Amino acid sequence: MIPRERGAYSAIVDRPPLCLPDRARLVVWTIVNLEFWDISRPMARQVLPAPTGQVLLPDVPNWAWHEYGMRVGVWRFFDLFARLAIRPTLSINARVCEEYERVALAARDAGWEFMGHAWEQMPIHRVEDQAAMIAKSLDTLERFAGTRPLGWLGPGLTETEDTPDLLAAAGVKYIGDWVYDDEPTEIRTAHGPLITLPYTVELNDIPMMLVQHHESAYFTQRCIDSFERLYSEGADRAKIMAIAIHPYISGQPHRIKYLEAVYDHVNRYAGVLHWNGAEILDWYLAARGNR
Amino acid sequence: MLPTDRLDYSAIIQRPKLQLPGGARLAVWVIVNVEEWDPKEAMPRTVLSPTAGGTPMPDIPNWAWHEYGNRVGFWRMLEVFDEHRVRAVLAVNGSAIGRYELIARAALERGWEFIGHGFTQKNMQKVADEPDDIRKTAAAIRGFAGKNPRGWLGPGLTETWETPDLLVEEGYEYVCDWVLDDQPVLLRTRTKPIVSIPYTQECNDVAMMLIQHHKASEYYDRAIDQFEQLYVDAAHSARVMALVVHPYIMGAPHRLKHFRNALAHIRGHRDVLFWTGEEILDWYLAPRPPID
Repeated sequence: MIPRERGAYSAIVDRPPLCLPDRARLVVWTIVNLEFWDISRPMARQVLPAPTGQVLLPDVPNWAWHEYGMRVGVWRFFDLFARLAIRPTLSINARVCEEYERVALAARDAGWEFMGHAWEQMPIHRVEDQAAMIAKSLDTLERFAGTRPLGWLGPGLTETEDTPDLLAAAGVKYIGDWVYDDEPTEIRTAHGPLITLPYTVELNDIPMMLVQHHESAYFTQRCIDSFERLYSEGADRAKIMAIAIHPYISGQPHRIKYLEAVYDHVNRYAGVLHWNGAEILDWYLAARGNR
Repeated sequence: MLPTDRLDYSAIIQRPKLQLPGGARLAVWVIVNVEEWDPKEAMPRTVLSPTAGGTPMPDIPNWAWHEYGNRVGFWRMLEVFDEHRVRAVLAVNGSAIGRYELIARAALERGWEFIGHGFTQKNMQKVADEPDDIRKTAAAIRGFAGKNPRGWLGPGLTETWETPDLLVEEGYEYVCDWVLDDQPVLLRTRTKPIVSIPYTQECNDVAMMLIQHHKASEYYDRAIDQFEQLYVDAAHSARVMALVVHPYIMGAPHRLKHFRNALAHIRGHRDVLFWTGEEILDWYLAPRPPID
């Protein structure tokens, strides 16, 4: 199905507002992405292009750059979110539970929500048996975390035309791949409705730092600018602001303080909730009936 | 036709003086681009490059990122135009009028000018039947807005060797693809000439945010710098300044204020006109009174 077959165009101004409990204005949804990069394939991202543009395998420098996030960077995230008592959503390649069990255990023990994020980090278009990969990923996460994930984010947000159908059939309730609104929406699949939650490619360290090459400090500025606009709009209708981070990027020593500064800023405001995807889903399913 | 067959080189300092009414120095026009991106084709722009390279199809994340502009961003942007009482020019894909009718209606109700922007967001060199595309776009605008579009902006400013000829033959009077001057100029075609009105790749959020990857605040800084220099230049002869925005870019919550602030700054000058493209066209083509 192409996107239009899953839902018609809808202008946000045409919808009755959604309301948050206790007149809160905005939900901050933090998503930490943990990935497995297979050294036998081209790396998912590169900080250092090969000399003279030759793509050679194995790509040890870029593999190691990502590995730093798992060895060092992610522990800066755990410290930050423990201090703030925030339990983010963990978007996790299921293979991480086997290859980096230490990290996955820390997230589980901290009560983070596990969200499906494929088996390993490669475009979903290149997965031969997508249904089997989805089942294996969700089963692995369920075994590891004790509950079956409600949510799913494609690797690099990728989908094929039937991915939402396969996800709904596997019991997934929400996806993050459709960054097309400030509110959750419902889309059609061959196996019943699926909810989209407003994940982000704007407040996301991959587009900002690796694609657009902004300075580290700009992460704070862009998040605060988004927050202030959405907080203002939140007086009339509930808004959700996602922040998407990766330990090998935002977990770098020179970047972590700019992430911390975002939370320092937003936590000075009343009416700001820190929810994970499952909490947003529960609220939306109830709140849309009331509007 | 080669560009050099369409117009001769001309230095801006050697032309007769252009004067705007009321002693205004500059005419500023603001173009809002509303597009429909076909999920069955490669996306015209991307915010997120694919994991490990390649061009995966379909490209849902980048399709959705653009769609955000039409679901949410446009409506945020509209408040800025209302607040500053500026009528914009809607450069719209013919197919987007039906798909995003609410947007077209909001523009029509405010008296914005509609100009053709291709029937779909596709390079004109890859459109199968260019005259048909240009004609269908005019028909879609006429069907909705009740009159023919007078202006045209190619998708991504793309043209074939023939585009200006076809535009004139389909009734268009001005084109925006030729960012070669600060004043309107005439382009020869195989029939009668078409006017080129100064559009911009400089104060354009696609070029600035998606290609050059500037911070959002650079939109404001550059617009002000551009404006102030043109304002000085216009002491000798009138100038035209364009500002270009796309709902999926400047309509993002973190960027909007920089567009608003730029518009507010320019709006604060009494000797600056906010015009649509057709107002610039009519002024340029009107018989010129002798300069005193």
